[in-house]
Amino acid sequence: MNLTFYNDEATWLHRLDPRTKIGGVLLIFVICLCFNHPLFITVILTGVLAIFTTAKSIKVLWKLRFLLVLLFVFSVVLWPFFIKGKTILFQWHGLEVSSESLLYGFAMGLRLMTFVSAGLLLLATTKNEEITNGLIRLGIPYPVAFALATAIRLAPTFADAGTTIVQAQVSRGLDLDSKNIFGRFKRFAPLAIPIFISAMRYTNFLAMALESKGFQPDAPRTSYYEPQITGRDWLVLGFLTLTLAACLYMRLSLHWGIIISGRL
Amino acid sequence: MTSSIVFDHLSFSYQNTTAPALQDISGEMTRGSFTMVMGHSGAGKSTLCCAINGLVPRFLRGDYAGRVMVEGMEAAKNSVPDMARVVGIVLQDFEAQLFSTNVELEMAFGLENQCLPRTDMEERINIYSQMVGLKELLRRDTATLSGGQKQRLAIGSVLAMETPVLVMDEPTTDIDPEGRRHILSLIRRLRTRERTLVVTDLDAEAAVQADQIWLLKDGQLLAKGPPVEILTDSSLIESCGIRPLATVALFQAMNWPGQPLTVEAAAAEIENRRLLCPRRPECRTISVLAPGKVILETRNLSYRYPAGAINALNEIDLTIHEGDFVAMLGQNGSGKTTLAKHFNGLLKPTAGNMLVRGRPVNNYRRHELAREVGYIFQNPDHQIFAPTVREEVAFGPRILGMDRKALERNIAEALDATGLSGFEDKNPFLLNRGERQRVAVASILAVKPAVIILDEPTTGLDYVHQRDTMEMLKRLNQLGHTIIVITHAMWIAEAYAKRSILMKEGRILLDGPTSMVFSDEAMLAAASLAPSDLIRLRNRLGLAAMTLTDMVKELKSEAVPPGSF
Repeated sequence: MNLTFYNDEATWLHRLDPRTKIGGVLLIFVICLCFNHPLFITVILTGVLAIFTTAKSIKVLWKLRFLLVLLFVFSVVLWPFFIKGKTILFQWHGLEVSSESLLYGFAMGLRLMTFVSAGLLLLATTKNEEITNGLIRLGIPYPVAFALATAIRLAPTFADAGTTIVQAQVSRGLDLDSKNIFGRFKRFAPLAIPIFISAMRYTNFLAMALESKGFQPDAPRTSYYEPQITGRDWLVLGFLTLTLAACLYMRLSLHWGIIISGRL
Repeated sequence: MTSSIVFDHLSFSYQNTTAPALQDISGEMTRGSFTMVMGHSGAGKSTLCCAINGLVPRFLRGDYAGRVMVEGMEAAKNSVPDMARVVGIVLQDFEAQLFSTNVELEMAFGLENQCLPRTDMEERINIYSQMVGLKELLRRDTATLSGGQKQRLAIGSVLAMETPVLVMDEPTTDIDPEGRRHILSLIRRLRTRERTLVVTDLDAEAAVQADQIWLLKDGQLLAKGPPVEILTDSSLIESCGIRPLATVALFQAMNWPGQPLTVEAAAAEIENRRLLCPRRPECRTISVLAPGKVILETRNLSYRYPAGAINALNEIDLTIHEGDFVAMLGQNGSGKTTLAKHFNGLLKPTAGNMLVRGRPVNNYRRHELAREVGYIFQNPDHQIFAPTVREEVAFGPRILGMDRKALERNIAEALDATGLSGFEDKNPFLLNRGERQRVAVASILAVKPAVIILDEPTTGLDYVHQRDTMEMLKRLNQLGHTIIVITHAMWIAEAYAKRSILMKEGRILLDGPTSMVFSDEAMLAAASLAPSDLIRLRNRLGLAAMTLTDMVKELKSEAVPPGSF
């Protein structure tokens, strides 16, 4: 699977300052936490999807369609068993599923999808270097910011190595489809060991390459892309802050968007 | 002439090893000179490179004695980032050192570390992206570049730092011939600048343009001197694991006067001295293949990667016969590997059919297919996992349910064929690259597949190991295995393959006996390939032979005896 999410376009979202986008994603996270009614979260998710469309990046989301569906299905199936509601739909040996708990499960599934989508919105429209830059300007220490960006950067590399390793072992007869559970562990070693070793080699090598180019984590350095906060950034942040305020008002004063009270 | 780099009795051995990687290296490289460091794999070339910018001993630790002075700085006494002000280094694995989102950011990375203001960075990126021919690709994602482009980016991003010393560790390894030519011409252009250039390479053809050649063997500096001195001594360089220059070797074998270093010089020499009667290339007899039973067959096969915009393979019709020895040639991205991965069912055709012994691959169980077609990946480290060579080699046959007796016999035979008898209880991770490659081959051989596919089996190997690997494949072929080799190394195809398949942009451009394919230089050029010096000379002289020995035999029968001019 290709885990590179950056989608090189020149939309308004790509041009925003990375700090705005990081802040914006955090605001969307909080907005999501305001409600636990599926309808309200659907509205938020629709908003995020609309932003994806204007950023011409729906195809990035499409890459993760399986993950998104999986998160949703798990939520809908599991939550109802852990939450109690008033309107019981069916009971079985002490397990009960109510319509409230079912709706809550829906809401949580949609919330997870919104979380992932909002995070992906940042990755799809912001270069790795911009994320590093944004984090540093937000006051995150350089080594932490760099480590985070490196982790994002290396995910696709390791995924590629993983694909090659799987192919190499399958070529030797390794049968990944066989149903035998006892064979699991046996199948694990031929994949895990080469992946681990190639990851170790790679990171060690990368450290050599970075130092050879004069990189020191704690030394001052300039930046080729120097994002600027413009009026548009303030507009976006202002809009999201107002939305958050409105949502808080709806939840706390009007008690809208609540399926089960006392829960996020 | 002022010296730029001075080695003063440098010795180094890596931690936890007994054999020294470098022993008592002394010598100097003058400012603005171009030094080519050559030697077998494990001779200490990379260690020498890393000693120039202090990676040895600051990062790669071990016992260090002596010193290295670079532009007045002592390498071991300064940190690697500090040394980066005077030394730029392009490390061997060029893919792994590209780190940034796009081309311009990759080139900017070193400049950012130098704290250059943005306007200066732009100017440098402008100049150096032009120089390495990536000006049009500044915004491209580095992952989408071809191998040659990646290597040029790695070089360009170091060049942009404008360090007085530039070190490149095997910049032409693992690159298709066209990419290789680009890089060699780049090096030639760099010579005119005031930069000290240190380059390592396994290939003598790349060293012709150097000022100095340093010859390493087992960590010792065996010889140094200008190319005319070193490259003309075929036995010396062969003893260091380097393939001698074809032109020099031919002239020596023929006892002809002169030691031309290039094909052009050799051809001129032959003409001027009238060493040969003019011949007509059309007269040469070219071998014909004697095909056995069909074992692999593609019918109208097309393939598109899930995320791909265009077909990686287009309507391929190909049959491979039992006993074939096939070389698959073409640029990076021409579809060689994609096609080969269909042969053992790793990829399924988007359209058309892939048949193994007349049966579609889809009708095979995984383990049945593994017995028919074995596939050896380029990097042995992508498959080695067991603590001993024996267990590694036993993995395949065991998983296919081979009984104990057959298993033992097959392991012994596989180890014997790969020259690894006696290595049974060794840890494969502690072997060198050539040996690990052979473990990978043995682990496939133990299954006894009818067809063995090897993806770039000679990458990272020096001449001696390359020859050993290929001789081993030749023996396996004689034992009845069908061999398919994907390679960038033209001489390997020329000397060993009976049949060559030329690919370009997902199509087969030319398919026939190797001697015929390599006679068609125009077609090779269309696939961005070029024959080795030996075969270029053969084509100029209109010979039929494909190896030096055969060429000498062919020429001896008709050459003008020396002394008659």
